[in-house]
Amino acid sequence: MIFSKEKTTLAYTIEKCSKCEKFHKRDFSEGDILFAISSKCTFCNGITTIDKIFGEILER
Amino acid sequence: MLNFTDFEQMFSMGDDGDTLMMLVWIIPIIIFVFYGQQIQLLVTSGEIKKAIKKLDKFRSDSKKELIDYVKKNLDPIDDPTKKIEQFLDYFTIMPVDMDPNGIMDKVRHTVRSREDYTRNHVKSLSSNMSEIELTRVQTLIEIASSLQMIHKIVNHMFLTAKKQKNYPLILPLQMMLPFIMEHAKAMDASIPAFKTGQPLGDGIGPMVVGKMMLDKEKEIISFQTALAKIDYEQRKLFLVKAEGPGSTVGRPDDALQKIVTSTKIDAIIMIDAALKMEGEDSASVARGFGAAIGGIGTEKFQIEQIAIENKIPVFSIVVKQSVKEAITLMTKEIADQADNVRSQVYEMILENTLEGQSVVIIGVGNTSGVPQ
Repeated sequence: MIFSKEKTTLAYTIEKCSKCEKFHKRDFSEGDILFAISSKCTFCNGITTIDKIFGEILER
Repeated sequence: MLNFTDFEQMFSMGDDGDTLMMLVWIIPIIIFVFYGQQIQLLVTSGEIKKAIKKLDKFRSDSKKELIDYVKKNLDPIDDPTKKIEQFLDYFTIMPVDMDPNGIMDKVRHTVRSREDYTRNHVKSLSSNMSEIELTRVQTLIEIASSLQMIHKIVNHMFLTAKKQKNYPLILPLQMMLPFIMEHAKAMDASIPAFKTGQPLGDGIGPMVVGKMMLDKEKEIISFQTALAKIDYEQRKLFLVKAEGPGSTVGRPDDALQKIVTSTKIDAIIMIDAALKMEGEDSASVARGFGAAIGGIGTEKFQIEQIAIENKIPVFSIVVKQSVKEAITLMTKEIADQADNVRSQVYEMILENTLEGQSVVIIGVGNTSGVPQ
C-alpha cells in the first residue's frame, strides 16, 4: 500500500491527584498498573494514583 | 489523416475480420470451458498465498517473542526453546457430543485439565516465577499456539485444494479468510500489551469492579478470582473479578456458586466487553438481560444454571468494541467509559433491588494490568 500511513500505538498513563483532583498525562512505563500509587503531584505535592492506562494511535 | 477502413477491418467490418474475430472470441471461451476452474484457482491462490505468508510470519514472530520473553525475564533453568515448542504443538480433543447429556462437565474438565497442565509445566521453566509472570507466559503460549493452529489449518485447506485441483474446495477458505486474518492480526497486535501487563479493551469489566473494590477487604473466593463485600444504599454488594494484575479471567462461575450457597442473592449484574457490530460506535455502552460472558460457553452455562435454580434475574452492561480493541491495549474511548459504566451499575442496583437485598456484581474479562 503506497499511500497507507504507518500506524503506531502509543501507550499513556493518566495520573490523578487525590488532593487537588488534577490529571497528569505521561508516557506509559513498564510496571504501571491501574489504581497504583504513582508519584507526587506537580501542582500540590499530593499523592497521585494511576487512573487510566490507554493507547492512542499515531498515523505517520 | 486517420484511415477509417483499417478500424472497420479490425472490428470485423470486413469478411476477413469476421473469421479473425470469431477466433478471438471462441478460443478464450474454449479455454474457459475446459480450464476455467484452474484459472480461477490460480488467481485466488495468489491472494491466499499472501495471507498464508502473513500467517506464517505471525506464527514465527509470536513464538520468537514468547521465547525471548521467557529468556529475558524469567531466568530459565535451561534453554526453554524445546519445551515451548512442545507446548505449542499441544492439542485439545473436545469430548464427543453425539449424546449431549453432561457435555458441559466434560468440556469444562477437558479445558481445565489443559490449563492446569500448561500452568504446571510453565512453572517448571523457571524456579523464580511469580504468579503474574506465570499468567503472562500462559497467555503468550495461548496466542502463539492459536496462531500456529490457524496457519496450519489455512495452509492445509489451501494445499488440499491445490493438490486436488479443486476450485470449489478453496471457496469457503476464500470467503472466511478476511475474518480469519482479522483475528490473527488482532492476536499478533496483542502480544506487546500482554508482555508489558497493560490493560486490554476486554479489561473494562474488571476495571470498573476493581475500582469499586479499592480499599475494601478482599478474599480469594475461587481460583484466581477475588471477592469484596461492600454496602451500598442499604444493599449488600458482592463484587467479583479475576485476581489482577495478572493476565487471567478467573473463574466467576465458581465464585457465584460459592456466594449463592451461603447467601440469598436477589440480582446479578455482569459487566463485560462485547463485540460491536459493523457500523456501531466503538466504546458505546449498552444495557441488557442475560449473562454477559464469552469464552467456550461452560462458564455462561454455569452462571445461567445458578440463576435459574435460584430464580435470580441477570442484568448486564456491555461496552462495545472490535476484536482488535478487545485484546489489545485499551483505547482512550473505552477507558473514558469506566466512570460512566460504574454510575450505570449503581443506577441499575437502585432500579432493580430493594433495601436489604443482596446483589452480585461481576466484572468479566481479562484483568491484565488491573488490580483490585
